[in-house]
Amino acid sequence: MSGDSTVPALECRDVVKQFRRGRGFKKKVIRAVDGATLTLYPGELFGLLGPNGAGKTTLVRCIATLLIPDAGTIRVLGHDVFKDALFCRQQIGLLTSGERTLYWKLSARDNLKFFAALYGLTGKERDKRIEYLLGLLGLQEVANERLERYSSGMKQKVSLARAMLHDPKLLLLDEPTLGLDPQFGRFIRGFIKEELNKKQGKTILLTTHYMDEADELCARIAFINQGRIVDIKSPEEYKRDIPHKEILKVRCLGQFDGELLKGVSGIERVSAEFNDGVTTLNIVAERAEMVLSEVIEAVRARTRILGVDVQEPTLEDVFIYMTGTSLGADTKEEHETQYQD
Amino acid sequence: MRRSIRIELLAILAECRKTIRIWFSYPIMIVFWAIFPLLWVMPYVFQGRALVGGATSESFRQLTGSGNYLAFVLIGAMISTFVFSALWGVGNSLREETYWGTMEYIIASPTHPLVILIGKTLAEWAWSSVMVLFQAVIIALFFGVQFTLAKVLPVLLIVVLLLVGFSGFAIAFAGFTLLIKEVHGWVHTLEWIFFLFSPIRYPVQVNPVTAVISTLIPLTWALVAIRSIILLNKAEVNLYQTVLILLVMDVVLLVTGYFLFVYLEKKTRRDGTVGMH
Repeated sequence: MSGDSTVPALECRDVVKQFRRGRGFKKKVIRAVDGATLTLYPGELFGLLGPNGAGKTTLVRCIATLLIPDAGTIRVLGHDVFKDALFCRQQIGLLTSGERTLYWKLSARDNLKFFAALYGLTGKERDKRIEYLLGLLGLQEVANERLERYSSGMKQKVSLARAMLHDPKLLLLDEPTLGLDPQFGRFIRGFIKEELNKKQGKTILLTTHYMDEADELCARIAFINQGRIVDIKSPEEYKRDIPHKEILKVRCLGQFDGELLKGVSGIERVSAEFNDGVTTLNIVAERAEMVLSEVIEAVRARTRILGVDVQEPTLEDVFIYMTGTSLGADTKEEHETQYQD
Repeated sequence: MRRSIRIELLAILAECRKTIRIWFSYPIMIVFWAIFPLLWVMPYVFQGRALVGGATSESFRQLTGSGNYLAFVLIGAMISTFVFSALWGVGNSLREETYWGTMEYIIASPTHPLVILIGKTLAEWAWSSVMVLFQAVIIALFFGVQFTLAKVLPVLLIVVLLLVGFSGFAIAFAGFTLLIKEVHGWVHTLEWIFFLFSPIRYPVQVNPVTAVISTLIPLTWALVAIRSIILLNKAEVNLYQTVLILLVMDVVLLVTGYFLFVYLEKKTRRDGTVGMH
């Protein structure tokens, strides 16, 4: 069954995961995943994009059998992950964010040897596989050094090697570039796209809250917000389907919000981001040039303009348009409901 | 889909090797464990001398059959070190895995966490065996206790049966560790329950309550038999009865431990607390 290319690599149907938090009257139910449905086809690089606390990691943990969902079904290569956990675990390679997921007191080689044993790899087959992966990720020279001496990026490379040890068909990569410096982030992104997806044909579920990463890597993206899958499309389709074509970005001194542009006609939506004493106004309009002069006039009346730019909508703009939430937001507490026993 | 016994054994071996490598990555621990057997014996010696005014006691002989209080206590301490190390080791090691962030990767692998626990228990036993061997040498050299092959073989059989039963207990305990996350308080409580209700430091027949409750604890049966063999030279003393009782207790503890662990591991996956510490 697993060899059949028409069988989806991953199928999630109406997955619900709730957490009970607090005690007594303060007891609450947090609906972390709320009826998530998605299908990944063999060889696909699929993105799950959403802000922190949107439910991405919870869904990945359900797929990896680390969490038991309250409702719904999850199938890997046609097998139910809970009824046939052993088969599914053998098909899944997992990488979670954070550098503390390995034994720092052991070398990269010893870490990989240990995890290889958990996946039933032994002897020459194991050693060959480990050497291949160490070479592929450029870790051969430091393979016998303890991980505590590695940088975050190098540890993430070892994590990636561990996820691939047993040559899994499905890779679950949860925020693989989180906290990495740009150089390692670029390497990891390139490795995922070129080596894992294109060359090795792995099916990959990538979760991220970096829209550039999802845009660059993924053939299809699911927007997830407050535990719900909002939509699934290709990055191009998302951008094409947004009814606005241009985003006018105005950077100005001081802290302001959309109220600043009240009264300017032709504007469909304004969002403001404040950082280091500078506000960036993201103005969505059908055509930027039609509102440009009025916007400049309104802003200049209150403060100094530092820069003006007209951009095509990014995935972030699409996400904000569709959900009203920025990808940088933390929505952890937003989908809580009072618990009634 | 099933995995072969060979693959499970290799996973146990890998866990054992990993645990020992991590221990040895802290050199100061080796120094500590090297002097531990000597440090361990001193308080018992001084306490014993203060209480009975020498190495032997007549009233103690009336209770236990042997007047050698020190040897009595040291054998109790030696065997209890062995079994408690399994509790400490297994409980702590799962907590360490959650600290290291590796617990989720173990649970997400096709290897059952019980296989990992067996590996951890074996590593603990290997280490404890070295310690107990040192302790036995000290007891033999300084307290006149003779360890002949005729004594050691039945004692080893009893110790193995005792450890099997305690590993059932430790497995259940590991499940609780996954759930409650804290181990120190619980292990200490359990230790003191065992100290109170089994003849580790004193003969439990000094009062009827401890005498009755102690019969439910495998450590009691094992210690009584081991002391009879070593101190009283009674090789035939209740050995068959003790072995039978320990076997029954082993089965009960292992089965209960297994089902409790499976239930608690599933509960933590339902609650979403596998990786928490």
